Amino acid sequence: MSIRVQGASVRHGQVQALSALDLQIGQGERVAIIGPSGAGKSSLLHLMATAVPPSGGRLELLGEQPWVLSARARQRLRARVGLVHQAPPLPPRQRVVTAVLAGRLGQWGTLRGLLNLIHPGDIPGARAALAELGMADKLFAQCGQLSGGQLQRVGIARALYQRPEVLLTDEPVSAMDPVLADHSLALLNRHAQAHGVTLVASLHAVELALAHFPRIVGIRAGQVAFDCPAAAVSEAMLDALYANEQLAPPVASTASPQVQIPRC
Amino acid sequence: MNRVINGLVIAAILAAVLASFAYLELDLAAVVGSGGPAQMGEYAARFLHPDLSVAHLRAVGQGALETLAMSGIGTILAMLLGLLLALPAAGRFGLPLQGAARLLLNALRAIPELVWAALTVLAAGLGPNAGTLALALHTAGVLGRLFAEALENAPPEPAAAIRLQGGSQVAAFCFGTLPNLWPQLLAYSLYRWENNIRMASVLGFVGAGGLGQMLYATLSLFQEAQASTVIIAMLVLVLLVDALSDVLRQRFVRA
Repeated sequence: MSIRVQGASVRHGQVQALSALDLQIGQGERVAIIGPSGAGKSSLLHLMATAVPPSGGRLELLGEQPWVLSARARQRLRARVGLVHQAPPLPPRQRVVTAVLAGRLGQWGTLRGLLNLIHPGDIPGARAALAELGMADKLFAQCGQLSGGQLQRVGIARALYQRPEVLLTDEPVSAMDPVLADHSLALLNRHAQAHGVTLVASLHAVELALAHFPRIVGIRAGQVAFDCPAAAVSEAMLDALYANEQLAPPVASTASPQVQIPRC
Repeated sequence: MNRVINGLVIAAILAAVLASFAYLELDLAAVVGSGGPAQMGEYAARFLHPDLSVAHLRAVGQGALETLAMSGIGTILAMLLGLLLALPAAGRFGLPLQGAARLLLNALRAIPELVWAALTVLAAGLGPNAGTLALALHTAGVLGRLFAEALENAPPEPAAAIRLQGGSQVAAFCFGTLPNLWPQLLAYSLYRWENNIRMASVLGFVGAGGLGQMLYATLSLFQEAQASTVIIAMLVLVLLVDALSDVLRQRFVRA
């Protein structure tokens, strides 16, 4: 079992993001997490990436409990888990090659890592990771000059270069055009299948999730709404998942009786 | 009512001004009359013929190099010491150390360069050592505080992302925080260097070496021609450093 979440709760201040959520993901599984905005998709991914400790319940990652481990052992465990952020937090002045090579800082010692800051050691490796995403020409560009979609691809390249055993991606293609999004998700899935990596992706686009991932988990109000193979997801399940009572039906606009007095 | 109060305030100010003249026994008549302006003009005129003899120019050149070195090394030492103190002062190592570091930075900054120079001349002896040390100590206080503020304002997410991949604290700082930070640090340091080159030429007045010491000596001996050369050298030095730091800023800060 690669990831085991048992009755885990996450609380951000007053907001209960996840409440007693159970989820088990096996070695090499590829799972898409879908759900409405604010349902807790990002919180779940950040919980699994050990970015936040659960306020209740248990988290088991690759057979270990990260929040019971010592800080040093937790860092070693984290090196085996990759997280792709929705908006990768890369320093604007950092060069793309450095940002990608930073993926392996967990595996390298600190000294070898710092050497890369002065002189990028593994340029072919970084180029290969970027080339798969069509970004090889941006190897020496500064991250601040890239668009949102390009930044997301640098984030994915960094996670691929890290070679983690568990790859968590938080809305990895939200800023990409449909063709690129399709290509990037296919690449992530190919990579996961080829290397036996456990892949978890939260996605807004349901059709992308259904097209690329064999298992779909629907999250609503911090709990699992459904968890089934992609083929078993029905229209009714999706309607129930995304139903929104707070959105009022569009009101026919009536002409305002007030007289507009232009002021200029 | 208001007018009366205004009038009273103006009257009080006038009275204070008159009382100051009386208290200080200033005699404006003596300054203006009995050939005063002529004497002042004569003194000023003696500055119009700077001493450009080779021997003196060589001495001024050496003094200028000394001043330049003092300000440069003083600023670099201050950058190192400031960064060392800025990390605890920004709260990276817990509250007790934060308080201690801030107290130390405040103390370093509160004592002006000239006072530091007077103290370091006693500790390190006459000459550029004392001046360098004085500049380094005061500037470390200023830069440490500025660096700490820059550190606190730097976004934490990039470093947090590195930590999440298993990177060490040092790696996270160097890959996540420093790329956002160093242009700001460089800009602050260059600004303080420009300040220090001016300060370094004054520190000599308390015996801390450089052009200031020459200026003080020549003025004391009424060698206006020589003093004039020293002043010109100071001007050139300040302009030079301004231009140099401008080039550095264009290349590295605004890139």
